[in-house]
Amino acid sequence: MDKENEFEKRVSRRRFFNITGWTGLCAFLGSSGVAGARFFYPKILYEPASTFNAGRPEEYTAPAGNERVVVDERWKKNQRVWMVRNREGIYAVVAVCTHLGCTPNWFPTEVRFKCPCHGSNFNPEGEVIAGPAPEPLFRARIELAPDGSMIVTTGLLGIRRANLQTQKKTLGVFWTEEEKEVIWKPPYFLQLKA
Amino acid sequence: MSTNLNNNNEVSFVPPFLKKIFEYIKSTPVWKSIFRVGYPDTMPKRMAVMRSSFYMHIFPTKVGMHGMKIKYGWCMGGITFFLFLLLTITGILLMFYYVPEEHRAYNDMKDLRYVVPFGMILRNMHRWAAHGMVFTVILHMIRVFYTGSYKPPRQFNWTVGVLLLLLTLLLSFTGYLLPWDQLGFWAVTVGTNMASATPLLGYEGPFSKYLGIQIDNDIRFALIGGTRIGPNALIRAYVWHCVGLPLIATALMIFHFWRIRKDGFSGPM
Repeated sequence: MDKENEFEKRVSRRRFFNITGWTGLCAFLGSSGVAGARFFYPKILYEPASTFNAGRPEEYTAPAGNERVVVDERWKKNQRVWMVRNREGIYAVVAVCTHLGCTPNWFPTEVRFKCPCHGSNFNPEGEVIAGPAPEPLFRARIELAPDGSMIVTTGLLGIRRANLQTQKKTLGVFWTEEEKEVIWKPPYFLQLKA
Repeated sequence: MSTNLNNNNEVSFVPPFLKKIFEYIKSTPVWKSIFRVGYPDTMPKRMAVMRSSFYMHIFPTKVGMHGMKIKYGWCMGGITFFLFLLLTITGILLMFYYVPEEHRAYNDMKDLRYVVPFGMILRNMHRWAAHGMVFTVILHMIRVFYTGSYKPPRQFNWTVGVLLLLLTLLLSFTGYLLPWDQLGFWAVTVGTNMASATPLLGYEGPFSKYLGIQIDNDIRFALIGGTRIGPNALIRAYVWHCVGLPLIATALMIFHFWRIRKDGFSGPM
């Protein structure tokens, strides 16, 4: 018995074509499926830039009298950010409810942000004081440009809860002690001289 | 006075020349290809009618008396299918005027209401039929549950029905964004943010951080084509609403009806 017959005994022609045919079909369908899934993830987004120039800190009024903070709404419509001026400095609060992403409104007389969708309330520091929101409002990063104006980043790096990248994720409606050490320092807080 | 007697020796008031015309029409290949069996006056002929007609063959050849009672099924599945057809027709007509583009969508919807001839009734028919379909599909499901029609051998058709319920809800959800108004915009913002909490696949869901899932590569990103509801989300909702989901629903409906034919109507309670 020569070698060729030996091979044919083990793998018949029918079996060979059966295996290669099904392998080819599975490879085709599998790669088509992966390509089809990949198709739904665009490479380029034409979304608004996540960084913008918010002007100089002096352009924002400081709280006077009994006021705790002054919430500036000039960037809310285009950038979804409030610039909040307290007595020590300025910080940027992202106007995206941490519950399910609606835009809260600022009520100066009640000194709180309220979300119209499911009724979450936040204090000016962004902490949850009522409603279903699972964590405080996100802070955007503020960096000073050489000309003294503030560059605010709201995108991937900015919107996550201040310390999410560096520390273990702990959900809570109030800032933890560790988080407070992060959010009241640059780049999440810009200290201003009185 | 001459009387016309037909084959059964009954008086016929049809004039002979009309009869000849009818007989000619009935002898043409066109007539014979539409009405293949003839007048269904016997049981085999009645079953042959159902078997040989494309439109009738979605019905069983034989149905028990209990299955014919309105009280038994309320025709809820049939009404759901009727509403689906109505939604398809009105939806196609709406597509002639509506453009799913950021700056046009809302205005086109307003035009449909106030400018397009019969646009308001078309849009309202589409809207109310959509609400009605969700309602009837749920009543249909309740009826199937209470009559025990989900039990073997019909358990697989129940599963197909659950998928069809899901598709009905998804069709409603994708259609909700298309007017591009505040209501739909925020509803879809909230709805798709829920997808970001999916285990493994959503960027806020459990275990997803071990897979490196971020806001720009999770399941929500694939659904809305970006990190926020924008033009990409609008066109995606439109294509899923008008093409993708109806095709899947049609395929499953064909299967659903075919299984009813094969399993027969469920028995009386």
